[in-house]
Amino acid sequence: MHHLINKQNDAWQLADAQSADQQHAWCDAENWQPGQALKLSVDAELDPQWAQASIIGIDFPALTDGRGLSLAVLLRTRLNYSGDLRGLGAVHEDILHFMVRCGFSSFELPESRDPSVALNCITPHKQYYQSSVVDPLNHFDRV
Amino acid sequence: MYQYTEFDRSFIEERVNHYREQTTRYLDGKLSEDEFLQLRLRNGLYLQRLAPMLRVAIPYGTLSSNQLFALGKVAREYDRGYGHLSTRQNMQFNWPELAEVPDILADMAKVDLHAIQTSGSCIRNVTTDHFAGAAADETIDPRPYCEIIRQWSTAHPEFEWLPRKFKIAVTGAAEDRAAIGVHDVGLRVYRDAQGQVQFDVFAGGGLGRTPVLGALVRSELPIEHLLTYLEALMRVYNRYGRRDNKYKARIKILVRAMGVDGFRAKVDEEWVHSKGGPGTLPETEISRVEAFFAPPNYSEQPDVSDTLAEQRLAKPKFSQWLQHNVIEHQAPGYAAVTLSTKATGVPPGDVSDTQIDAVAQWAADYSFSEVRISHEQNFVLPHVPKQHLFELWKKAEAQNLATANARLITDMICCPGGDYCSLANAKSIPVAEALQERFDDYDFQYDLGELNLNISGCMNACGHHHVGHIGILGVDKKGSEFYQISLGGHAGHSELAPSLGQIVGPSIPRAEVCDVIAEILEIYVDLRLEDESFLSCFKRVGIAPFKERIYAPSH
Ligand code: HEM
Ligand code: SF4
Repeated sequence: MHHLINKQNDAWQLADAQSADQQHAWCDAENWQPGQALKLSVDAELDPQWAQASIIGIDFPALTDGRGLSLAVLLRTRLNYSGDLRGLGAVHEDILHFMVRCGFSSFELPESRDPSVALNCITPHKQYYQSSVVDPLNHFDRV
Repeated sequence: MYQYTEFDRSFIEERVNHYREQTTRYLDGKLSEDEFLQLRLRNGLYLQRLAPMLRVAIPYGTLSSNQLFALGKVAREYDRGYGHLSTRQNMQFNWPELAEVPDILADMAKVDLHAIQTSGSCIRNVTTDHFAGAAADETIDPRPYCEIIRQWSTAHPEFEWLPRKFKIAVTGAAEDRAAIGVHDVGLRVYRDAQGQVQFDVFAGGGLGRTPVLGALVRSELPIEHLLTYLEALMRVYNRYGRRDNKYKARIKILVRAMGVDGFRAKVDEEWVHSKGGPGTLPETEISRVEAFFAPPNYSEQPDVSDTLAEQRLAKPKFSQWLQHNVIEHQAPGYAAVTLSTKATGVPPGDVSDTQIDAVAQWAADYSFSEVRISHEQNFVLPHVPKQHLFELWKKAEAQNLATANARLITDMICCPGGDYCSLANAKSIPVAEALQERFDDYDFQYDLGELNLNISGCMNACGHHHVGHIGILGVDKKGSEFYQISLGGHAGHSELAPSLGQIVGPSIPRAEVCDVIAEILEIYVDLRLEDESFLSCFKRVGIAPFKERIYAPSH
């Protein structure tokens, strides 16, 4: 089992282990139909139909593999996917803040990780230099 | 110089706090060795053969006098009284205690310095011409654009976990002192006929195991599109760069695999969607950052040519120093000065805390409080009034920083090699020392003229041997240290296109290195026409005459 981190009333939280949000029947890209939960590998090439997924998960093979970050940005900006986007696989507490800014809205944190640490380091900075999927303003738009 | 805003300051403070918390978690056993490795690298901390090493970012090699004083303090309090100037214009310290690094970073933050992204597979500190804003051959000061790139690339959400490290260099002068041809991305900045700032973008250059020169992927890129274009390019690399083999993971391999046209097309396809979007630089931002780099308040300078001529006559060493280490400035009456760290017997780039403090003081006294670090691992004082040159020279002499060898054979670039680095095949510092001693005769050096000699202890090429006019590479031959010599490499200086060195023949044991180099120099002296430099001579005669004589059967 993993820890599910998601947002409630705009605040990050550790979801209840029994939460309905834990129960998704993930389909990989080949077997997926609109309306189902879609699990993507980090090297997936975009398919416009995916905007109709009930939820999308991106499966990170390692914490150092940044392909899932670019894929998330593309889902949000190119396909305008607005549903839940979940980090799966090698999700690590120290990568969460990058993931959030690339458009992830929930995470399956591996069982071995400490969810309180994860919640603690999900927003290490108040503001950033660049605009991102979650903030259209660059630092230079604020000065 | 750029001045930190409240935002810059709070950002790096938050970063130090975050890293402190990560270090605590590691020490408490909550982060594995491998997990912490990724985090500490992105905060500048390496663990080397003998001890840890902390690399502090000197954005585009520009420092204030106060910042340099603070680095002198780090050398004294946390290192053993030394700092090391790196070939990427950064400053490195050995022996910091892992647990103390957050404190060092907090001290650095007080003077607006950090170690963010100085290692790891992310966008590294951007480098440029160490004479930026000073050199007479400059068309445009590249530093504002370096600063814009620094801000954009700092903790970029999408590009912190790339296939491999990513190095960007920018040049704005006729002579490319930033070596943009051997960077992952090289930018040439200039003004078009209407005075608009533009960039030519080169991608896929690099040294290491597979040395390649960058290819032109976009010309005449208007400044407002700089960041969206870089973002498109980085995205293509992040998604398609190889991650299965670290030796094939640099962007140069991707560009080669896709072909330059294929790569360019892919980037353009990506850019169509983001061009003009968030990240497009507004005119206000461009001029805000440019304003930080406005020239200092130069004053009217007396004509000191007569005095200088007398001083030169009185002190031949001063005269040599003026000739080799002092260059023409944009502003009348001023000069840019190279303070060489390459005195005989000193490892290239090593500076003591006393030397660091002295340079910081001279910067305050003579150079509008500005200092640069060059990729040749020297200090530069960019704006010195000519009337103070003699005074400065005397002080530099007393600190062993006035060796008059800028761009000569003993102004070598040398990596730490087998003495410090666990990846080395061979030592490099003792080779540099032996060569310095052998060619210590300055008349001989002056007669040879401009000659870059670069040494790396293994094919990772930290000492840039591929682009040395003479390159020396440490190789392992059945467990013993051998050296391979290459000739004719060149990083893009002197208005010649950059080129990679050609191997002159089989590798040789350390004891023979000095003799073979001496022989190469002799051949050059025999073959050169009048004032022909080593590089021009090599370009004319090619490698054959060197091969023939060095490896002649009688030898
Ligand atoms: C002390 C131990 C060091 C280690 C273990 C080390 C490791 C490496 C490695 C593995 C590479 C090759 C990366 C690749 O392209 O695949 C590299 C490249 C490089 N290193 Fe180091 N390095 C060290 C010190 C230094 C120092 C002190 C300098 C500066 C004086 C330096 C400057 C560079 C530069 C400029 C490159 C880039 C070559 C390129 O662009 O391809 N390194 N280093
Ligand atoms: S070139 Fe090789 S020996 Fe020299 S510092 Fe780099 S990795 Fe170490």
